[in-house]
Amino acid sequence: MDEREHWMALERADGSPYASRFAGIGASIPERRLPTDELMASTRYQTDIDLEQLTGVRERHVVSVGEDSYTLALGAARDALAHAACAAEDLDMLIVSSISRHVGGMRLQLEPPVSVALKEALGARQAIGFDISNACAGMMTGVFILNDQIRQGRIRRGMVVSGEYISELGRNAAQEVRDVMSDQLASLTLGDAGAAAVLERAPAGAPGIEVAGFTTLSEHSRLCVAFPAKIGPGVTMHTNAREIHRVAIENALPMLREVLDQAGLEFDQIDYLVPHQTSARAINKAMAEFSAGLGGAPKHVVITVDELGNTASTTHFVALHKYLEEGRFAEGDRILLLSLASGLEVGIVIFRVDQLAGCYGNHH
Amino acid sequence: MGTIIEAVATATADGEPSAGAVALADAAARSCLERAHRTADDVELLINAGVYLDRNISEPAIAALIQEDIGANPEQLAGAGQGTLSFDVRSGACGLLTGIHLVDSMLASGTVRLGMVVATDADPEPGVSEGFAFPALGGAVLLSADASRPGFTAFRFATFPEFAELFQSAVDWRENRSGGYNLLSVQIAGAYAERALECAASTARELAATERFDLGEVDLLIATASVPGFAGELGRRLGLSGERVASPPDRLAGAHTAALAAALESRRLAAGRTALFVSAGSGLTVVAALYRA
Repeated sequence: MDEREHWMALERADGSPYASRFAGIGASIPERRLPTDELMASTRYQTDIDLEQLTGVRERHVVSVGEDSYTLALGAARDALAHAACAAEDLDMLIVSSISRHVGGMRLQLEPPVSVALKEALGARQAIGFDISNACAGMMTGVFILNDQIRQGRIRRGMVVSGEYISELGRNAAQEVRDVMSDQLASLTLGDAGAAAVLERAPAGAPGIEVAGFTTLSEHSRLCVAFPAKIGPGVTMHTNAREIHRVAIENALPMLREVLDQAGLEFDQIDYLVPHQTSARAINKAMAEFSAGLGGAPKHVVITVDELGNTASTTHFVALHKYLEEGRFAEGDRILLLSLASGLEVGIVIFRVDQLAGCYGNHH
Repeated sequence: MGTIIEAVATATADGEPSAGAVALADAAARSCLERAHRTADDVELLINAGVYLDRNISEPAIAALIQEDIGANPEQLAGAGQGTLSFDVRSGACGLLTGIHLVDSMLASGTVRLGMVVATDADPEPGVSEGFAFPALGGAVLLSADASRPGFTAFRFATFPEFAELFQSAVDWRENRSGGYNLLSVQIAGAYAERALECAASTARELAATERFDLGEVDLLIATASVPGFAGELGRRLGLSGERVASPPDRLAGAHTAALAAALESRRLAAGRTALFVSAGSGLTVVAALYRA
């Protein structure tokens, strides 16, 4: 095979007949809030952990009776379609990327794929539907797939959607965490949310996704694993948090350089960097190292983990939705989405906000 | 430029009844690479389509575990060329063909140059799980682009949600005197096989109509739906005689996500021949694809 100069899977700069762009971002956030002090007061053992100081997570939103992974995904999908000003029938592809697949409360559905019911509920009759799973990089993987399909003209429009009911991992962790070294500590930062993104073929000459790259550094694949709990309903997640943060930062740096080079950009040409939302401290530490390694810094780093917690595969799109609703983005802004997830997955997407800025807030 | 099948392989749990899903996928992937005279580092896209996995693991993607086990670019090496991207497709018995569809797209765009789809199922808790009757099996299909051969030329996806109740599986909490436990249960209704046949036949005919080919041109039917006898009966309904239907060994007749690999491995497809792939699974979902070797 011919030698390639990049490590990541990247779409080729030449030869793609079309470009893709985000047509709409949707979110579904449960109303109920769970403050960190309330969660920590429920731990079975006296832990003496100041979780808010440690992670910056002040509160997270959690589901109420009648809400689960499926309902969160459905709500986000409908919201994304409304902002994209298109009908479900216009979707050529529907990808569900939730890690949690709770349908009907705590029941973890393996089959049928969740996409079957979502497709039917939305009325996406023409869409090719399937589920994928790629830990917290699931939605970004869906974007990578849709971008590949749209750029070739295989589809015109597609949606990736995820509903994460994962606060139950926090409830389970609260029964087992004893101190700050617990491998379930990260579960206490989790919050529930649904998010969806509609991608479409961009009009000729319109800005959109400038580059998308992904890779898996699997020597770290067993640093974070989740499976059905032994102590009660739902799931437990076990993470070597220090090590996964260390290797994520170390490995993301050259990947950022590759993607920026592919797009012909410098790091300080990024207006907003949206990282995966694990903890404010981890994000700030990573940004300092990225800036030192790449020179310069993005103008803004988006942090939502303080009020939403870590919402797994939905974090980037929940954050985008929040900033769009608050009118923080301008049309010309360039956004970098950085996914670092169990696997170890490294995914990066750079795009221009363009018409999205006008589809939210008072305009909608 | 077409996407062609370079090699296919399967691995069974013969002699190792405790072999888990990941170990079966690892073995199938290694065997597949060996048959194609490829190294693991050549694989730039690795998709796992298995559903019933060790400990019912939900994170990370099983494909990442398999990638590490087989040594496909597990660590980033400066100047070593392109690495490997891994993720899972969770679409039941249609997962393997769905994975092939995604590899086909990324090969065509030049994003990757070699892709592998693995599928694997094994009972996560033998003797505890309810209704799990699929034989333990791992399968792998290696795919690349070839400018001189058509390869996969068309795919068709169809969904029949009115039959969603016929095939259900879930992990759910079951209470007992000592508290309780999470239990995997698989429920396949008696009517599933017939409905799967109807849906698969109609989807195959639609593919033939849209692609303007005569089903009589099909040299080999490779069909799976996780129930024994499906391929032969679908062939009969489509007017294809028994010798044009791939049949895996009887002990694998009820295999699940890796069944397509077992069927493919059972027959050689000569150059210039046409194969029709049809997978039906829970949902009810059907994927059909046309392949010209």
